[in-house]
Amino acid sequence: MIYWLISVGLILTATAVLGLWGARLWRRDLQGPRRVVLTGGGTGGHVNPALAIAEAIKNREPHTRFLYVGVAGKAEAVIVKRAGLPLRFVVSRGLPGFRPSLALLRFLFTWVVGTVQSLGILVRFRPHWIIATGGYVSAPIVTAGVVLKALRIGPLKIFLHEQNSVPGQMNLLLGRYAHRVFLTFPQTLAYFPKNGAVVGYPVRHSILEIPKEEARKRLPFTIPEGRKVVFIFGGSQGARTINRAVVEALAVLAEHRDRLFIIHGMGLAASEDYHAVQDTEALLKARYGEEGVASFQDFYYRQDYFHNIAEIYAVSDLVVCRSGAGSLNELARLGKPSLLIPKANLPGDHQVMNARAMKQARAAEVLFEDTVVEEGGLQDRIDGVVLAGKILELLADEAKLAEMTQKCRQFFRKQATARILSELYGDRRFDNGWTAHSLESLPPLLTNTQLLRRLQKAYDADPEHYDPERIAGIAEDLAYYRYRAAALLVHPAWSVRNLGVKLIGLTRYQEKTPTVLHMLLDRTPASRMERFFGGDYRQVGFIRRNAVTAVMVMNRLDASVEEALMGAMEDPYYEVRAQACRAVSHFGRHLAGKERWLKILLTKLEDRCFEVKVEAARALGEIGTDGRALEALLSLGEAFHWQVRNAALVGVRRLMERQVIWPCEDLLRRVGRFILTAPDFRPHFVIRENFNAVMHLCRHPGAARPAGESPENGAVLGKRA
Amino acid sequence: MIYQIANIILDSWPAFSFLRLVNYLTFRAIVAALTSAVFVFLFSRRFILYMHRRGFQDQQRETGLSTHDKSGTPTMGGVLIVGAVVFSMILWGNWRNPFLLLPMIAMLWHALMGFWDDYTKILKKSGNRGLSEKTKLALQSLFSAGFAWIMVGPLSPVGAEMAGRLYVPFIKVPVATLHPLIYAVFIFLFVIFVSNAVNITDGLDGLAITPSLFVMGVLGVFAYVQGNTIYSAYLFYPYLKGAGELTVFGAAFVGAGLGFLWYNAYPAQIFMGDTGSLAIGGTVAVMSVLLKQEFLFPILGGLFVAEALSSQIQDKIGVRWLGRRLFYRAPLHHNLQHRGIAETKVVIRLWIISGLLALVALATLKIR
Repeated sequence: MIYWLISVGLILTATAVLGLWGARLWRRDLQGPRRVVLTGGGTGGHVNPALAIAEAIKNREPHTRFLYVGVAGKAEAVIVKRAGLPLRFVVSRGLPGFRPSLALLRFLFTWVVGTVQSLGILVRFRPHWIIATGGYVSAPIVTAGVVLKALRIGPLKIFLHEQNSVPGQMNLLLGRYAHRVFLTFPQTLAYFPKNGAVVGYPVRHSILEIPKEEARKRLPFTIPEGRKVVFIFGGSQGARTINRAVVEALAVLAEHRDRLFIIHGMGLAASEDYHAVQDTEALLKARYGEEGVASFQDFYYRQDYFHNIAEIYAVSDLVVCRSGAGSLNELARLGKPSLLIPKANLPGDHQVMNARAMKQARAAEVLFEDTVVEEGGLQDRIDGVVLAGKILELLADEAKLAEMTQKCRQFFRKQATARILSELYGDRRFDNGWTAHSLESLPPLLTNTQLLRRLQKAYDADPEHYDPERIAGIAEDLAYYRYRAAALLVHPAWSVRNLGVKLIGLTRYQEKTPTVLHMLLDRTPASRMERFFGGDYRQVGFIRRNAVTAVMVMNRLDASVEEALMGAMEDPYYEVRAQACRAVSHFGRHLAGKERWLKILLTKLEDRCFEVKVEAARALGEIGTDGRALEALLSLGEAFHWQVRNAALVGVRRLMERQVIWPCEDLLRRVGRFILTAPDFRPHFVIRENFNAVMHLCRHPGAARPAGESPENGAVLGKRA
Repeated sequence: MIYQIANIILDSWPAFSFLRLVNYLTFRAIVAALTSAVFVFLFSRRFILYMHRRGFQDQQRETGLSTHDKSGTPTMGGVLIVGAVVFSMILWGNWRNPFLLLPMIAMLWHALMGFWDDYTKILKKSGNRGLSEKTKLALQSLFSAGFAWIMVGPLSPVGAEMAGRLYVPFIKVPVATLHPLIYAVFIFLFVIFVSNAVNITDGLDGLAITPSLFVMGVLGVFAYVQGNTIYSAYLFYPYLKGAGELTVFGAAFVGAGLGFLWYNAYPAQIFMGDTGSLAIGGTVAVMSVLLKQEFLFPILGGLFVAEALSSQIQDKIGVRWLGRRLFYRAPLHHNLQHRGIAETKVVIRLWIISGLLALVALATLKIR
């Protein structure tokens, strides 16, 4: 015992002594030239800002020593080496989400190892500042910095830079420990209210504004006079959807070839998954033939990548591109009108958020991708005709283009690097707070579950006047929500597909009706294990039930829907059958009098599940047009479940209301034979009724009393009548 | 207290020989039941008023069957039950007896846990956002683990050599002798399951309390038999020294429960809340284990078992995994309601079932 106590004591003392010694050393070193650790990477979008900041610091303090810390084999390994900064590697890994899994365990392990590596690097380098520009690459070094700061060993300052309007996981987790978090978008300040500073996006090799005429001369191709120039590209790697849409759009755009010129950057992607140039060329050839493509030459120019992008920007009147932070900042700097096609389902949906912010400021237009099921898989797609239409519409609207040019410039925080330096050195020459900006923040996008809850509530409250557009707020948002819902339909987890089906219905995404109907009738069996426990098909019972519900919410009946509902009537899961009967009631006006529906409902009265019987009886009341329906309903008078008898009475009532049948002696006699005893009743709390009456009067003074609750009524006063 | 004082007086003054009554289990059981019932009758009206004023009321659930005419009913009636039992046992219990101490601790632990749960629900103003399922399970596990550890250790009230023996209804001899470690795991799971089962059952007015009274009563009878040398020998039960104290405890519980039912019967003026249901569940579980009647519980408390299983099967297998409902609704009592049976009728029918099950359980005393 004493042995262990002493050993623990010794270890603690040793650590304390070492720490104190290290801290003294560190403090002494602070007198020397400035040392800065840079980190961040994974993609060029994270590395370039770091290098831009380094460049700026170097201009101000030429003796500064830098050390770049990254992950081997990522973008920084190439770019930083070319920039000539010393580079060290640590291990790191992306956060796979917070749900417990093996991947999470691996992440945590890597994080700890990376942090220990970083601790070593930091203690040896003893930097004044750590500047991290995001990406999981920077997580270990920032964690190590936070640890050293917390232990009061290293008097260092940690700065983070966030390029997107939605912060990445790393910045979100560690941002609170940072000295300052530099932000590109003012909206992001909401995430870092204490230490955020809106500085903009530091652009390294500044993209300069070149006069249009000069740029035209420098281009390797000629653009005829008097043409509107559209520059379309999907980032340095290219984007499959954009390239494909361009190929389709050319057919439409060719009609306006005398006043248009299209410049198309296809992208450098050359992986097995997607080879941008080959794929695009093949598509062009397949669609227009050799000579067709050649004939486009007078208004269409394509190339894999433009190294002289500044010149292309200079000559173009409209830019069609993704809405990553880098591209947006270039656009904003040059004041280019743009049509943005955000890439969806990225972390935090940052491209969508960026595009939304631009759209809201009327600095750009937005076009969302659509998700379609093709070749058995899920594909993002943009309709070329839609794209072409949108381009032509924008080009025709001079005023709009001018407005976009002007508004979009406001988005650019001028002198981003100068602002960063002023924060780094603490000389506060800029006000980088909230107030400096005229843009108000947008409401955040809803998550799928939030959206579902909101729409469902609205629908339940008033199905008649339900309008998803009004509830989603901004129209672009609804388009995006629909896109997101459609993407859920092919998810491997049924609960996610189920959510997708519900959302498709509630957002009234009519174009997806065939997919939903397909899911309803899909008979791919579930795994053997699941079938043993009572499962049936891959599209589980809840999905099929909600598919029927979705059709009801969308409220549009055509032949395909009718067929699918007919199929749902024979579903093995009782809730689907019941819901299908409900759908028949819902569409009763259209189905009334149709022979096949009457027949199938009559068979459903014999269903082994009473819920189905109930709904079938109600539906009969809605669609019955002759004596057969009445006869069937009257024969339920001695059914075991009182709900079935009750539904039969409801059905008869509906038949009379719809004036299908007329009261007569025989009807009275038959209805009189119904069994009316039931094991259920509604309790009736006299005190609550009076309470509600008082509350009603308080809330609506002077209003008429709700019917049947007059105080003269004996029951309400608590007397037995 | 009275038990101890009476014994001291008896030792010193033989003139008070009528006090030897307190040494008879039956006498103590009856007065304990009466005491706790009177305790509940005395305090419940004031208690209900107090809970109403403090706003300790049942909160509306976000989903499930409509409770629109129930929300606002004062809850945490379990405090009353537990209070009555504790009061009665302070007067009439023999505190030195581990057969009394263990169920007492179980009851108080679970009651406090349930209280915390109820209290959070009230604070958050939502019926399904109490303690998280994990916290609840962790607290239950903590108790169950401690209890299992005591049961297989040298402090076990039934004796270490008895601990691992498994008795099954209708069979005279123990069917197996488990390794203490395995038996500990078994007890651990058993206690957690039972306390949750009662918690799930507590969904309609008076549904949880009456079956619990049947269970308590039958366990009390078993305790009387097993704590008595003559009867246990006659019925071939292992003699458990001091187990008779559980009869007194069970009787006190029955008294308190009857008093509570007075106000809890449909339409309820007070709910027991998790405070009550968890406390009852924990106590019943511990009593069954102490009497070596773990396997009697599926019969005796068949209702609780059915409720818990239906709820778990529906939720874990059906809704979460297969994506369909396996029962119309779960737990059992909601299923019956969904089939169109009124709450009062469901409750009385389930009482009948649990009463019949209690009779079957009693029959196992002799039929072996």
